[in-house]
Amino acid sequence: MYQKISIIILLIVTTLSCNDTDPISAIDRVDSFDRSEMLSFWADEIIIPAYMAYANDLSEMDETAKTFFADPSASNLEKLRESWLEAYISWQSVSLFEIGKAEEIGLHNYTNIYPTNIELIHSNISNNNYNLILPSNFAAQGFPALDYLLYGIEDTEEGIVSTLSKEDVRTYAISLIERLYSITTEVLDHWTESYRSEFVANDGSSGTASVDKVVNDFLFFYEKYLRAAKIGIPAGKFSGSKSSRHVEGFYSEKYSKLLFQRAFTSVKDFFNGISYDGQRRGTSIKQYLDQIQNISNSDIDYSGNIISQWNVAQSAADALDSNFKTQVEEDNTKMLAVYDELQKAIVLLKVDMMQALNIQVDFVDADGD
Amino acid sequence: MVRSTLFLLASIMLIISCSEEDITNIENPLSYEFTRNGVSTVSFSGQTERIAMATELITAMKDFDVSDVVMLEMFANQTATGNDANPFSEAGLNASSKSIKSKVAASQDFFSSNSVESSEIKADFETWIRAQVSEVFPNKDVLAEAGVAGQIADGSSVRYINGGGLEYNQAVNKSLIGALMVDQMLNNYLSPAVLDAGDNMSNNDADIVAEDKSYTTMEHKWDEAFGYLFGAPGADFANPLNTLGSDSFLNKYLSRVDEDDDFNGIASEIYEALKLGRAAIVAKDYDVRDKQAEIIREKVSQVIAVRAVYYLQQGKRALQDGNLGVAFHDLSEGFGFVYSLRFLRKPNSSDSYFSKSEVDGFVNQLTTGNGFWDISSDTLDEMSEDIAEKFDFTVEQAGS
Repeated sequence: MYQKISIIILLIVTTLSCNDTDPISAIDRVDSFDRSEMLSFWADEIIIPAYMAYANDLSEMDETAKTFFADPSASNLEKLRESWLEAYISWQSVSLFEIGKAEEIGLHNYTNIYPTNIELIHSNISNNNYNLILPSNFAAQGFPALDYLLYGIEDTEEGIVSTLSKEDVRTYAISLIERLYSITTEVLDHWTESYRSEFVANDGSSGTASVDKVVNDFLFFYEKYLRAAKIGIPAGKFSGSKSSRHVEGFYSEKYSKLLFQRAFTSVKDFFNGISYDGQRRGTSIKQYLDQIQNISNSDIDYSGNIISQWNVAQSAADALDSNFKTQVEEDNTKMLAVYDELQKAIVLLKVDMMQALNIQVDFVDADGD
Repeated sequence: MVRSTLFLLASIMLIISCSEEDITNIENPLSYEFTRNGVSTVSFSGQTERIAMATELITAMKDFDVSDVVMLEMFANQTATGNDANPFSEAGLNASSKSIKSKVAASQDFFSSNSVESSEIKADFETWIRAQVSEVFPNKDVLAEAGVAGQIADGSSVRYINGGGLEYNQAVNKSLIGALMVDQMLNNYLSPAVLDAGDNMSNNDADIVAEDKSYTTMEHKWDEAFGYLFGAPGADFANPLNTLGSDSFLNKYLSRVDEDDDFNGIASEIYEALKLGRAAIVAKDYDVRDKQAEIIREKVSQVIAVRAVYYLQQGKRALQDGNLGVAFHDLSEGFGFVYSLRFLRKPNSSDSYFSKSEVDGFVNQLTTGNGFWDISSDTLDEMSEDIAEKFDFTVEQAGS
């Protein structure tokens, strides 16, 4: 009994302090959970396979692009679009893991900044003197720029085929596709050549340890990209005015829900420790939370609360139109409802989960200036 | 000695109580609205104009199509040779006789007999404006590196920096908060040297209004102090706490500090003191007026100091995480707040919290060598400590 009270007091103190350098927190973190095993599972069964599949899809897109530009036709355009979509879907499973080389080069910024800047795209195409490495060109490349080139550059299919095959447009499209492929293989090669072992070995509990970083990346992805960028911003949650222009896949006008669903599934699978191919279950944040709940005799069902809130959000999302542009324009209330359900999980993740795991949130909201 | 101790005690009690009812009979009105014979006596259009001019200037500094000549005209509202200029998009500002430059480092208390420093400070702003066009604009399509101006990513935003990592537009924006707003407010319009100049006091005592105006000159001077904080175009002047954050200058950062749990309520304290001080002028009670001025000096100074430490600490954290773009943006804002420290006013004193050599020392540490590319966490921590120790807050409280 006495012991139990001490543990509870210890936990309260730990929770209140929220400080990594606090010696009490450090003691509390010496638990029997095998972080190294979890990191191996993440690297070998989730992250690296996701990057491999993504790189493979990009290579496929490169091939279909070559075919199209060698023989510009409506059917070859369709093949190119299909491979673009496959790669865009795969991207949703790697975007959570902006760590290592991906963090160093800023993979997300070069891959999926939307709305894309069509003025900038046209100015790059016409002056044929652009440097895609520059941050000022983030919004003129990646999947959203290709979405525009493949679907929005002209009103008709024939028009798109003919404009895309003009030399300057073709050159630009190819450079976007090749760049996506080259930065991705750079990240993947780094994982397989050296970073995998470094990542798994970094199994401590400091702010720079792998678990802390990945969990932060996961949280950042959920909050900024899934909740805000895919749902909240087009629904006008932050500006007060809905804006269908901010929908992902704006020009193709049919894949926004698909992209959202894949991203949400990736979030849930990562949390639950489901391998990329869906065949295996491994050590996960969920297990880690459950163990902490057991050790501390906590009344809080950390993982259960999160999962059930996600189920509610998923049901709300299932009711959305496959094209969020239509959804925003015609019945934005449903978008806002999905936002609200995703938001409810933020407290569970950012406060309850992070405190239980004793991980500091390493990002703050920019103050917007 | 006994007397000064008593005075000190009284001041402390005043500050602690945050309530005037027990000391004075002057009623603090519910809103910043004052009338004489049914006509409003509140006026600070010059401050609203200068905030609008400064807003256009900092916007222009981010526009590659604007020349340094035009930016400098925005700063001075005249041409280099002193002729009339029309640099602003808003016609009213072009027509105005006011300018930013004439009120930069131009307070009665700090600069009336300190022209050398005043002119150096004005020159700093012009140097930053010129350098934005001569150093940064030509490199707008270059990836920045140590010693090389260009662009850098801050998240998905693009920032344009000099070779030392500094955004000149941030330097101008945040330094103006100190050199224009804070200096004019604390060291000019709240000063008895200005409020009581000439026959202001006897005129106010006798309700003699300024020529063709509804207000006495003393009332107007106090309103001008109010205007630098709460007079942004479009703000709710009568109930300014409703529109906190309505400019990119002092008002915005009062709002930011007020949002921090460690400092929550500071906006209301400053507002209440401004309102009561104005009511005291109407009641011709200059002791109460001056006590409010001291509260405002202390609190407004604290806002700037908190924000300086905040950005230095945010910058340090981002540097440690390897996010250079994020760090440099924070440090660019921090640079301006550090520069602004020079204008902070110790309450019940004629002194600044920081001497020229102290602020010059900080600026030098932030810009020496390759500037932010070279700066260490230790330097940023020491600077934060040096700032915080002059106030009643800790680096931890300000830094989060």
